[in-house]
Amino acid sequence: MHADTVVSDPLIQKPRIAAAVLTAAFAAFFFLNFADTSFGRMLAETTGGGDSFARAGAALALALLFVGNLVLISFFPVRIQIIAVWLELAALFAAFFLVFDLNAMFIQSKLWFLISRGLTTTLYVSAAAISIAFVIAVAGAIAKLSGNGFAVAIASFYTSFFRGLPLLMQVYLIYLGLPQLGFVVGAVPAGIAALSLCYGAYMTEIFRAGIESIPKGQWEASRAVGLRFGAIMRRIILPQAAPVVIPPTGNQFIAMLKDSSLVSVIGVWELMFLSRTLGTKTFQHMEMLITVAVIYWILTMALEVVQARIEGHYRARR
Amino acid sequence: MKKTLAIALSAVLAFCPAPAFAGEALERVMQNGVLKIATDLNWPPQSFLNDDNEMDGFDVAVAREIAKRLGVKAEFVTPSWEVITAGKWAGRWDISVGSMAPTKDRSKVLRFPAVYYYTPAAAAVHKDSKIRKPSELSGKVVGAGTSTVYELYLKRDLEIFGAPEFSYQITPKKIHSLESTTVLLDDLRLGDGVRMDGMVGNFTTIRDAIDSGYPVRLLEPPLFYEPLAAAIDLGDEEFAAKIAAAVKAMREDGTLSRLSKKWYGVDYTAAN
Repeated sequence: MHADTVVSDPLIQKPRIAAAVLTAAFAAFFFLNFADTSFGRMLAETTGGGDSFARAGAALALALLFVGNLVLISFFPVRIQIIAVWLELAALFAAFFLVFDLNAMFIQSKLWFLISRGLTTTLYVSAAAISIAFVIAVAGAIAKLSGNGFAVAIASFYTSFFRGLPLLMQVYLIYLGLPQLGFVVGAVPAGIAALSLCYGAYMTEIFRAGIESIPKGQWEASRAVGLRFGAIMRRIILPQAAPVVIPPTGNQFIAMLKDSSLVSVIGVWELMFLSRTLGTKTFQHMEMLITVAVIYWILTMALEVVQARIEGHYRARR
Repeated sequence: MKKTLAIALSAVLAFCPAPAFAGEALERVMQNGVLKIATDLNWPPQSFLNDDNEMDGFDVAVAREIAKRLGVKAEFVTPSWEVITAGKWAGRWDISVGSMAPTKDRSKVLRFPAVYYYTPAAAAVHKDSKIRKPSELSGKVVGAGTSTVYELYLKRDLEIFGAPEFSYQITPKKIHSLESTTVLLDDLRLGDGVRMDGMVGNFTTIRDAIDSGYPVRLLEPPLFYEPLAAAIDLGDEEFAAKIAAAVKAMREDGTLSRLSKKWYGVDYTAAN
């Protein structure tokens, strides 16, 4: 968004807006009914006002807390506002998880196995798949741009097919379908194949756009000095296209990390599989689901930092 | 044009592999010295990951015993239940010791050489429910695992070979079909009638859930007893005979009863 230079007071500090938000918050909290919480019960007991009084009182207290919090935060600089709101949302999430009454001991006892077995498998399946997808995407993009009828047809059929099918179905098709043709593939290779074919199709389009973004003059100049197609691609076009395509490739990797959970259906012991399996004996799968959700989340956040570095690196080189 | 297409297609099909030959599976097992066993890990106490993150349970113990009696090593793979029951394993694994009921449809794609025990199937409701008998679940929303015998029971389409006599007691308004009994139990615990009014599942799994504090109540008596068998791919009679002999020997020398008592507390190896 374009940075505006007109400075005005934050909206929430205007009395009318604050009053409107307060009314809306009160209505929402009243509707959700917090009378049956420890605070509501305390209110009902100390004032002797009964249930509906407790409901209104609890709603009003929460609404005042909510608006007061907004107004207070609005006085701080933007950076601190962002951090404060993040922390508050994180605290709300933690409170939501605490409702489940999770067994911390159980999580602790399984955490190392989740990381050593599940996370490792997730990471190596994703890394192998993204590497293969990278190669497929380069070939697919060149084929699509080549002007050769066969190459264009094959490449566009491939991208159309693998972008047009749900990934879960591709996993099943490759795992169950290939053996009917006599190729018995194991679960891990089948999963990697499905992921790399699917993401290769998406990345073909990214790479095609990247190659097309190189000005026509580069091609003409290369031709003028007598280079052949292969040499132009390898030495002139691809090195210039790399800064354009590598950042979106990183994004694809982050997306794939989560989609790799789909290979759990064919029995690969990655994070998702273990999260569904580890707690079943003692009926503690909520513990495992939440733990694995947090692992995925932390992993994605870490990779987003790396991704920002990569993007910054290529931006600086331009 | 059509003719060329037909010729091209038959040319392609000519290069496809021929179906399995008799004795192939047995030869593969004996040659590799490994019996590959497929087990879904989501069905405690039959098969699950124990505290040491290793595979454990009644099915796993029976499978190890079968491998021992064949004189080979046991090795486990864990594809999902639908993949196992779909058949056409293509030699990926040799046998499923996964408490599979030998239904009519499954026997079209799989062979069941040996029944190794019988478990009761029971209906259950949330503990706040007013329902006291299974038949009172008629006209309600009732849950069952997808493509399980419990779902077939609710659909009144259950044909299991070797099952003791039973009658259909429930005509649900709607079947709430979910991935496994454990997920169903999570739905049922939310409250009476929140997502469903009751469910049908494995008696012991539900009892274990109740012991773990689930607010669920079993409806006595059990609905039916399902015979549960080991399954192999079609086409190898010698292998089937070997498995049948191994299970028969385990039944006769009391090994099966011992394992059943260890995991269920009850001897389920004979039909009641």
